[in-house]
Amino acid sequence: MRQRQIITKAPIELPSRSSALRITKLFDERYLGMVVKVDNLLARLMIAQWIAGIAIAFLISPLAWAGKEAVLHSHVFAAIFVGGAITSLPVFLVYRAPGSQLTRYVLAIAQVLWSALLIHLSGGRIETHFHVFVSLSLLAFYRDIKILIPATLVVALDHFARGLYWPESVYGVLNPEWWRFLEHAGWVMFLDGFLLYQCVYSYRELHSHCEQQVALEDAIDSAGKMEKLAAIGTLAASVGHELRNPLGAIRNAHTYIERKLNGEELAPLDPKLVQFFAIITRELDVSSKIINDLLEFSRPREPDLAPCPLKPLVEESMSLVPPRDGVTLVNDVPESLPIPDVDRDQFRQVLINIIQNASEAYKPESTGEVRVAAKTTERQGWQIIISDNGGGIAPDIIDKIFEPLFSTKVKGTGLGLALTSSMIERHEGSIDVDSTEGQGCMFTIQLPPRSTGGAS
Amino acid sequence: MNTKRILIVDDEESLRFTLAANLELEGFTVIEAESGSHALEILKAESVDLVLSDIRMPGMSGVELFLELKKTIPEIPVLLMTAFSADETIQKAIHAGVFAVVYKPFDIDKILAVLRRALKRPVVLVVDDMETVATTTAEALRAVGVRAEVSFDGNSATEMVRKRSIDVCITDLSMPDMSGVELTRWLTSEAPSVCVIAFSGASNNEQLMREAVAAGASRCLRKPVDPSVLVAAIASARGIQN
Repeated sequence: MRQRQIITKAPIELPSRSSALRITKLFDERYLGMVVKVDNLLARLMIAQWIAGIAIAFLISPLAWAGKEAVLHSHVFAAIFVGGAITSLPVFLVYRAPGSQLTRYVLAIAQVLWSALLIHLSGGRIETHFHVFVSLSLLAFYRDIKILIPATLVVALDHFARGLYWPESVYGVLNPEWWRFLEHAGWVMFLDGFLLYQCVYSYRELHSHCEQQVALEDAIDSAGKMEKLAAIGTLAASVGHELRNPLGAIRNAHTYIERKLNGEELAPLDPKLVQFFAIITRELDVSSKIINDLLEFSRPREPDLAPCPLKPLVEESMSLVPPRDGVTLVNDVPESLPIPDVDRDQFRQVLINIIQNASEAYKPESTGEVRVAAKTTERQGWQIIISDNGGGIAPDIIDKIFEPLFSTKVKGTGLGLALTSSMIERHEGSIDVDSTEGQGCMFTIQLPPRSTGGAS
Repeated sequence: MNTKRILIVDDEESLRFTLAANLELEGFTVIEAESGSHALEILKAESVDLVLSDIRMPGMSGVELFLELKKTIPEIPVLLMTAFSADETIQKAIHAGVFAVVYKPFDIDKILAVLRRALKRPVVLVVDDMETVATTTAEALRAVGVRAEVSFDGNSATEMVRKRSIDVCITDLSMPDMSGVELTRWLTSEAPSVCVIAFSGASNNEQLMREAVAAGASRCLRKPVDPSVLVAAIASARGIQN
């Protein structure tokens, strides 16, 4: 007997496995949407900065002395070409691959490089340093702390390196104090602290929005299902009741006619007459069963609990399941299993439903067995396990098999397993299913220990 | 043997008519009533051996009719038919001692079995070596109109079954001499029409219960037995067997 420990809960409660997937999917969609917007924003800003950079160069330092002649200041060239170089790759990437990780890292570094360039172009003007804070704050829009790290490092490195080798470019003076860059770094760290916090917070907030969204969808879905069930229940009850009397009258009339006209008189008239009488009987039985299922579903009976030894009950259930070639039914319930209190008729129906389903899980022409085992524990009561090695249940439907009106079969009401699980629930038990597609299936019915005294 | 007279009460004409026709084929004399009050009218003038009534009818329900009949002709067995599977009124009828409740639609063969059983005016036999338990249980059954006898050991129980028309035997499992399990076995082979309900209060009751079920008991109960549970079990045993 298989001893799988991981068991899927029967989804009469919320299916958390598929919810987690949906939350992740929704989050990824929203996050990507946001990232693309920020990419576009930064790309436009990048172009604006380029134009601003050229303007600044022309305004502040358009000309320089080269010997006795006035030539265009190197700043102008820097603005046009270095600025262009910094701008082009990120803008290209935003055009070709918006939303990708590479794009935003490149944008981040390019943005802080622009801060550096603007500081240079303004000759180390104090006010231009504020652009660094603007850049870092903008990068926080990505809600991702990993983006801020390379950006901050580039700022620090740039200030450190230029502070050493080209101080006028960054501080505007030839001999700044050696620790000046630390002062700048300190302010950047200070800002970073808050930005990091904000990134983490808004990232989580987005995630929790997605969780709430999915929970809301589930709640609406489940409310819709309950309404549907209630409507089905009412309809089923009234239809079922109304049909029982007519069915009863038809049956009685049929029985009378069958008795009065015996087969020997009928057959010579038309052999089909005898056959058709049999058909009427059979189809009346089928109709009765459908009505019983519907009514049982919409107006369930309280179980009439009485001590009922399980091994003989399983034996009886197995004898009532239509046999299938190649499928063996094995009753592994121990003789000495403590006797549970169950409604004999209902529990027999439960066993028949599950065993029959298991038996039908084998494709025609294949062989296998359906095994019923049981055990008790003092704390958890009875565990009845019905296992097979048939086709198994696909992961996308396993959450739905206990839902009413769900069926993989062409015929049938689709109420079998729903009735089964509701009967078990009325015994205060539970039912779980564990299955791997292609490898079989295991149903576990749990019945609580008796309230007076234990199960063992 | 004179023909037995059956009163069928149902407002659904087709059902009533076809059922009556089938019963007449079997040799019964059938009188039809289309409502509870119509039935009472008829019973003022005629006598019957059994009443078979639908529960849900306009005006007086089948249960109300039964309770009325309990007052005037309590010895006549009453069978109730219903299309409902769950209803408080059904419980009320069962606890008031109706012979059985049968669910529509039913096979004629099956209803005939129940009718024939009811017409014998069968008795429930309570067997327990603890005399007070047996007597009080029987009293409780008689109080709701279920006919009951007692025996205090297995052997006198088998005598009773031979002499009287017993259809249900409620037996304690742990008794000296012939045990409850042995009695069950005897009944299953010698008197298979008797339905056995076993009860046990002994500490090793589980093993005894298993043996009783294996010997042919149709139901087990744990002591102390609630009288209403017992009455319901008897009605269920007397009803249509699936």
